[in-house]
Amino acid sequence: MKTITFDVKKRNQIALEFDEIIPDTIYTWEAEDFDKYAVPVGNSRFPLTDFFDITVEGTADSPADVKMVFNGDCGRVKYIGNKMSAGEIIVNGDADLHAGAEMSGGKMTVMGNVEAHAGREMSGGELEIYGNTKEFTGASYIGEWRGMTGGKITVHGNVGKQCGECLTGGHIHVLGDCDILAGIHMTKGVIEIDGNVNRWPGGQMKNGNIIIHGKLGRLLEGFVEEDIVTDPQIDGEIYKGRYISFKGDIALNGKGHLYLDAEKNRDKLSAWKETDDEYISLGENRKYR
Amino acid sequence: MSYEPPITDYDEIVENCTCAFCGCNCDDLDYLVKDGHVVAVRHACRLGASKIMEDLDQRLVVPMIRGDDGELEEVDWDTALDKAAEYIANSVRPVFYGWSETSTECMKEGLDLGQYIGAVLDNQATICHGPSLQAVQNAGYPIQTLGEVKNRADMIVYSGSNAMNSHPRHMARYSVFPRGYFRQRGRFDRTVVTMDPKFSDTAKMSDKWIGFEQNGDYGFYNAIRAVIKGKKLTQEVISGIPREDIYELVDEMKHAEFGVLFFGLGLTHTLSKQRNIDIAIKMVMDLNKESKWGLTPMRGHFNVNGFNIFMAFETGFAFGVDFCRGYARYMLGETNTIDLLVRKEPDVFLVIAADPGAHFPNGANQHLAHIPVIQIDIHWGPSTELADVVLPGSFIGVECAGTSYRMDGVPIYMKKAIDKPETCRDDEWIVREIKERVMKLREEPNVAPKYIPNPAAE
Repeated sequence: MKTITFDVKKRNQIALEFDEIIPDTIYTWEAEDFDKYAVPVGNSRFPLTDFFDITVEGTADSPADVKMVFNGDCGRVKYIGNKMSAGEIIVNGDADLHAGAEMSGGKMTVMGNVEAHAGREMSGGELEIYGNTKEFTGASYIGEWRGMTGGKITVHGNVGKQCGECLTGGHIHVLGDCDILAGIHMTKGVIEIDGNVNRWPGGQMKNGNIIIHGKLGRLLEGFVEEDIVTDPQIDGEIYKGRYISFKGDIALNGKGHLYLDAEKNRDKLSAWKETDDEYISLGENRKYR
Repeated sequence: MSYEPPITDYDEIVENCTCAFCGCNCDDLDYLVKDGHVVAVRHACRLGASKIMEDLDQRLVVPMIRGDDGELEEVDWDTALDKAAEYIANSVRPVFYGWSETSTECMKEGLDLGQYIGAVLDNQATICHGPSLQAVQNAGYPIQTLGEVKNRADMIVYSGSNAMNSHPRHMARYSVFPRGYFRQRGRFDRTVVTMDPKFSDTAKMSDKWIGFEQNGDYGFYNAIRAVIKGKKLTQEVISGIPREDIYELVDEMKHAEFGVLFFGLGLTHTLSKQRNIDIAIKMVMDLNKESKWGLTPMRGHFNVNGFNIFMAFETGFAFGVDFCRGYARYMLGETNTIDLLVRKEPDVFLVIAADPGAHFPNGANQHLAHIPVIQIDIHWGPSTELADVVLPGSFIGVECAGTSYRMDGVPIYMKKAIDKPETCRDDEWIVREIKERVMKLREEPNVAPKYIPNPAAE
């Protein structure tokens, strides 16, 4: 096992791009290789050692034998773990954009917050974030209809908009709250949200499963109530509790499933009319001319 | 409104000029010229006319550099261009922003410079129709020309757009009022619907106003798609609109012979951003199974679409194109001007034909106050107060010729009507001069050089 430790010396305002420093490329590197390496910063390259104290311990025969440890604030280090296929990365602090994006194997753990695009289009491996993250977690890149296709993302904090956009496989587990349009355009895979959800999960989803243990702000019209289910089994895993099961998004003949905690989301049951009054009064004020 | 007597004291009329204000690019304007100045404009709306008629009080006419005392000082062109080139040549994260009110020919010079120095090239789409471009990249672009709208459309829908105020001649010249080949009775042959939370001026003259609640766009369009697919709505009220009204609207849309959806920033900049446009495009695709429909974004500046078309053609990305690694790349939230400025990344900012000082959020402008800003523009504005180098350009479509792209993607040649002030230069010339001076200062392109994958293996 080779352990490479990056102790932050200086936080640069212009982001460092770490797409070239992943276990797959550096498993043979020794300390002097890092001394020679210049990291992309904007339109230039600067010596990596300007920004980090680097120590290398042990040896590695393959990327899987590499453990990279970042100590300090990496809030301006982009692409950490981008396209990694094996090994382990631990960030003891924050990470910038694209953390764990397009990774296909290995494990990445971030103890702090992560900027947007975490785990985008990842196809394998495990990404665990102990803080919050922003938009497009496990999503697809613009122009692509297939987002995350495999692996697992666990976020202990909150996530931003469009988490699991175009999800085509894998598992996203959010322990905090989630912003709008989680699982938009998803076709496969599972999104599990322990906290509350702002509105419209599963917009234009074709298939896959979204489980919400918290309260949902607003449901899309494209979801049709199916049943109240207890301890549903989804992709071989049992989710304890009572859920209202919805099918959608029928606006594009989707066959996805949305499970809402039955107790916290009683207002979403067709038999529950209490909150409808609010919507009707809104509608009356907004009639056509 | 007070009565303004017609202008009769002029030397000549320059006919068939193109307006350099909004994305309508009205190309039927006549300029009344006296003593080398445009004194009146015929056929233009008040917005276009007020811009075209020169406002010499605010005109930038000489190059300036901000001195040590913080004041702008007049200098000669060589000094100003050398200073601008020096800033750019020594930059690590330069951003070249604007381009929407200059010619496509000038953009070509800017692209060459950006590629050479490894800059980010971005335009006003980043604060207006950027979400539309992202959605188009995902979902396609079922567009039609405004000529088709005029001649064929019998149902016009404005969504999140107040065309009466923002594009005053849009309805008169292209969409609602003109008599077309198949719409001989003009307005009487068309149904006009406005979807907007506000009862706007456009809504006031529409046949129908859909006043869905603010940020309710996505839910509303989702319901429309479900109804188009023949589904029954379960909720009685969706995004503030009774479901019976949605049934009625969808029925009208399905039975239109040729419908067009024009959408503005009210759709691109509400809660769901690019996903609003995405679902609107999908709705148009659904409607095309029943009838004939298209959509067009209501672009703001007269050549904002030109920059997006030009960049998409040249680089594959419409805006926010980053060349810092030696190749073109784009990522929302990463290579867009506002995101870069809020993250305090840029170290040099070149603004051409735009006014970030007036339009950017406070956090972005705060960073501009701390870095060198090079301004190429024709008017003094809030950005001039932030600028360290000011280079007076020329007015495309009035003082110099150039190509622009209308909101529907039709290229229009804008001709020259009058001479520019003697001390001003064409935008294209200024950018080319900066490029050549930067190339002298840096003999090789300044981009992060190619990476050697594994030095240990060599």
